[in-house]
Amino acid sequence: MSRDRLVVGHNVRKVDGVKLVTGGAAFTDDVQIPGMLYGKILPSPHAHARIRRIDTTKAKALPGVHAVLTYKDVPRVPHTTAGQAWPEPSPYDTYLLDSKVRFVGDRVAAVAAESRAIAERALGLVEVEYEILPAVLDMEQAMVEGVAVIHDEPDSTKIYDREHNIAGYILREIGSVEQGFRESDYIIEREFRTSRQQHAPLEPHVTISWLDADGRLVIRTSTQVPYHCRRQVAMILQIPVSRVHVIKPRIGGGFGGKQEMLLEDICGALALATRRPVKMEFTREEEFYMARSRHPQRLRMKMGVKRDGTVLASQLTVLATTGAYGSHSTTVQGNTGSKVLPLYRAPHMRFECHVVYTNTPVAGAFRGYGCPQGFFAQETLVDEIACELGMDPLEFHRKNVIRLGDTDLLSAQLGEGKEGLPRLVRSCGLPRCMESAALAIGWAQKRKSFPNGHTHLRRGVGMACTMQGSGIAGVDWASAFLKINEDGSFFLQVGASDVGAGADTVLSQIAAETLGVSLDKIIITSGDTDITPFDVGAYASSTTIISGGAVNKAAGKVRAQVLALASKMLDAPVEQLDCGNNEVFTTCACRKSVKMSDLAMQAMYKEKFQIMDGASHFNTDSPPPFCATFAEVEVDTETGQVRVLHLATAVDPGTAINPMQAEGQVEGAVAQGLGFALTEELVLDANGAPVNPNFLDYKIFGAQDMPKLTTILVETDEPLGPYGAKSISEVPINGPAPAIANAIFHAVGIRIRKLPIRPEDVLRALHAERPANLEEELLTR
Amino acid sequence: MFGSRGVFVMKTMELHLTVNGISQNWSIAPGELLLDVLRRQSYFGVKRGCEKGECGACAVLVDGKPINSCLMFAAQAEGRNILTIEGVADGGKLDPLQEAFLDHGAVQCGFCTGGMVISAKALLDGCPDPSEDQVREALAGHLCRCTGYLKPVEAVLAAASKRKPRARRAKPVAEVAR
Amino acid sequence: MFDKVEAFYRPANVREALRLLHSGKGLARVVAGGTDVVVRGDDSVRFLIDITHAGLSYIRRRGTACIIGATTTMAELEASDVIQALAGGLLSRAARYCGSALIRNMATLGGNMANGSPAADMATPLLVLDATMVMEDSKGRRELPLAEYLVAARTSRYAKALLVEVVIPDPPRGKGCQWSFQKLGRTAVDISLVNVSAGLQLDSRGRVKWARIALGSVAPAPMRAPRAEQRMAGRTLDQALLAEIGAEVAREVSPISDARASAEYRREICSVLTRRALEECSAPAGCSL
Repeated sequence: MSRDRLVVGHNVRKVDGVKLVTGGAAFTDDVQIPGMLYGKILPSPHAHARIRRIDTTKAKALPGVHAVLTYKDVPRVPHTTAGQAWPEPSPYDTYLLDSKVRFVGDRVAAVAAESRAIAERALGLVEVEYEILPAVLDMEQAMVEGVAVIHDEPDSTKIYDREHNIAGYILREIGSVEQGFRESDYIIEREFRTSRQQHAPLEPHVTISWLDADGRLVIRTSTQVPYHCRRQVAMILQIPVSRVHVIKPRIGGGFGGKQEMLLEDICGALALATRRPVKMEFTREEEFYMARSRHPQRLRMKMGVKRDGTVLASQLTVLATTGAYGSHSTTVQGNTGSKVLPLYRAPHMRFECHVVYTNTPVAGAFRGYGCPQGFFAQETLVDEIACELGMDPLEFHRKNVIRLGDTDLLSAQLGEGKEGLPRLVRSCGLPRCMESAALAIGWAQKRKSFPNGHTHLRRGVGMACTMQGSGIAGVDWASAFLKINEDGSFFLQVGASDVGAGADTVLSQIAAETLGVSLDKIIITSGDTDITPFDVGAYASSTTIISGGAVNKAAGKVRAQVLALASKMLDAPVEQLDCGNNEVFTTCACRKSVKMSDLAMQAMYKEKFQIMDGASHFNTDSPPPFCATFAEVEVDTETGQVRVLHLATAVDPGTAINPMQAEGQVEGAVAQGLGFALTEELVLDANGAPVNPNFLDYKIFGAQDMPKLTTILVETDEPLGPYGAKSISEVPINGPAPAIANAIFHAVGIRIRKLPIRPEDVLRALHAERPANLEEELLTR
Repeated sequence: MFGSRGVFVMKTMELHLTVNGISQNWSIAPGELLLDVLRRQSYFGVKRGCEKGECGACAVLVDGKPINSCLMFAAQAEGRNILTIEGVADGGKLDPLQEAFLDHGAVQCGFCTGGMVISAKALLDGCPDPSEDQVREALAGHLCRCTGYLKPVEAVLAAASKRKPRARRAKPVAEVAR
Repeated sequence: MFDKVEAFYRPANVREALRLLHSGKGLARVVAGGTDVVVRGDDSVRFLIDITHAGLSYIRRRGTACIIGATTTMAELEASDVIQALAGGLLSRAARYCGSALIRNMATLGGNMANGSPAADMATPLLVLDATMVMEDSKGRRELPLAEYLVAARTSRYAKALLVEVVIPDPPRGKGCQWSFQKLGRTAVDISLVNVSAGLQLDSRGRVKWARIALGSVAPAPMRAPRAEQRMAGRTLDQALLAEIGAEVAREVSPISDARASAEYRREICSVLTRRALEECSAPAGCSL
């Protein structure tokens, strides 16, 4: 389009903003339905047990209790809770309710009662006799011969090796790492560990389900994946898809945790059993251990380089646990290889991964999807290599990172649980990201000589480069539908799920731009399976590029209809017409125009024709957004506390459709990345029970904890994206942990390879590194 | 004077209070929390985030002071003046804070926003020209998982300068004076 | 959590509160700010007694002491001129660390003590200030040293009595007197992993005339460090003495390991924070460290 963009690329307000700042009733739980019951799950107190006997007589007898369900009362359909496109690559190893429990918090029974208090009391009246089984809590022990088999049920499918508790296994190799290491001058291998980080959305999972007047099951729920949810619930409850209606209202944050069907199936089952509306919600405590987490990993990474710093070979060997169920098990871990290793142009790469079951809370999709773990290992290792070679880490990156025109072949081998598609870099702002973030942090000066005085506080700077994808190539797809109204406004219907990141706004901006109308002329409806067309949902950084692509296509088709009619009305050829400012006008010298509203009236009442169209969209490639993260830290050598002073993040998102929102995505990802780096970890006790399932002891960063943030958008023009857009929401979460770990090394000379980097670990490492005469050494450094 | 023990009877009591300028007379259970009562009365802008006073999503002003409504028994609100997020805008006219939250991209999912606006309002009512540190301290009881806090802090500072014209501020940073 | 509560009382004075507490026969729970009572929850509670209207919210002088009513909030302590002027503002500074602004508008001084937490942030400054707790029951009032109260609070020995006020005798004043509050948390708003309060009075030659060190979160209850205090008497605060005192407090404490920190770490940190507290106390007085 020749004219300047009027909506895309502008900092417009969120289209759903006013109702959010005024406390409008917009979220799942913001309704009261007459007769609504309160549903509650009885969580398993044991990590691994068989239910020998379960008696619900007393619970059912409690006044106000309307239903108590156990495995005896519901269909047994093996499935995955992962909200993925069919056929889901995750194992079908989960049941609505089962006679075996596999982690502390697993479903034992479910009740529906007239109040929360009665429901909670009823749970206490369910009598359960457990046969306690040996629990496998340590992922290192899961594959050992003779340990308990967690999934010994005969009907689960797609499990890689159930006898050894292996949910999934991946091995891929490009070139020959053996040869690569042989040709290397310098080889380094290190082991890293990452924690069980939890999404902690401010809105815990919540679902309300009821039967509508036609007897169809309505599910109003906090989900990122309404369509997957509809398909899965129908399958699990054994009712036709056409009898299920999923509604996604405003969502209080998802971050991957709501790409899981956690309450919808059981809430639906209770609504069917009671014929009453039923609400179910996780308490904060339940959200911590009954919802999902990031996969804890042990990563062994080995890299071989030439004397001049050229990377020849990289090998990553991962052991990860998916917890008791295999939700997103191979796909998250696949990403740890496929999106991480190709950052470097090594001719030889090898990725091997075992994903094992343990009797621990279930891991799943979480912003970054396997990349934060992988980049922590890779970028910390690379920093060590550069330092060993006497090279500036920035220089090392400049020399080795993937470039415009490169093809990432590992992605061809390793897709969504199967073979993937090769990834061609058609846009790449990574060099500019590195330079601008380095400048922002003052890299050149601070790296050389830090003004560290003779105090217990020491400063350092560190960096990391990361990338991600934009949708899953060949899998993710979306659709959109548009129609005109009399006043020249348009209804836009998308299956895409705005979970708070601003998808409704970005998609409306794309439609408005293509149709030449102001943003207030786009009325968007999203995420309602009865009204909006299909979309896989909000995950894999796909919404802007894939759903946005569908909106752009649909708007293009509607625009053609608009122009065709305008051509008639203005008596001008279509080629000489353009839309903008809510009108269609001629681009030739003799300027003529027609208002969009007049055109709409003409179509609707004269031509008797609804201007409307829809489109579907998918990509066979997943353009990588790039990111450079630079951190400045201050280490207290007496307490081990690490204070991040400044975090500079430069991201290449393609075109930023809404720069202000794009910055917000970076800043939010960085805050979660800081928590992953320094404080966040769900800790389990010796019995597999959570120790800190609350915000008192699971520490996420608050307003006073944040460092100075610099956010830089390095825009490029991605040929595969609408208006050149790629994605932004995930990639910035990867950098903080390695950048901070590297800055700590720069400050005090210790390498921390385990997350979160707790003060205690830093102090211990400092003691180990510098026994006794710490003070003296600090003075002479 | 005390009722029977061990039997589950829902006792009720009267609660008189003012919510967003409107005098109310509600029937509540003696052990109910203010959060639960407000939501039952359809003040849905008051959010349930943790029920332990850690996240601030349920914040309301009680006689002008921000508190966690999940930690206050509803009965303690007797005779008090409550302001919820629903009462911050003046009819259809948004408060400058709300405008600033929108203009600065400080709203993402919006779940914590109401609480943050409530605390920010209390701050600006008592301290019209706060420093960035004061803003961060006022927002410290509000966990936000979306924004990284920068834009909310910017929004509060911008709203402050809008309320009281003053020299343009530099982009805020988190440098803490040592 | 409190579904079985049958009545909520708002007594207008202490005597009425005590009467209600007595007739509650162990099923009544006193509530003020609610920030601990509600979080803890208790299904056995049948009666709630809100004492925030019982006339216990005040900060006043009485003779040579400062008196703080039990339901005075942290926010009130932060803002009070009297408290800001007391011991260099030690208590108002500590109050600012008691949770977020939202919490500090509700949480009360009495609640912070009565909760019996080893990490209570207000306990160490009050220990340093030789505060006493005034308890009232049907028989009348009696005063308890804080240390004794804190141990008792853990076992609810005074469940039938009400903590009504805190008495802080005027601490040493003048040029050589300095105070410090140190806290280590994982984030800005956090329960203390370790907290330390210190008060020092130095004579004109920089020798320690009077010393108080109190430590939180390193023993079953917040505690003084008497041996360390004694060691300092009459000596000049130099690096050697600071190291000695740091080592001494580490020997006096008995921390536990939990999800927040290990015992070893807490022990080490209490040395570091004690040293920092003493450094802060001595620096303005002109000691060269």
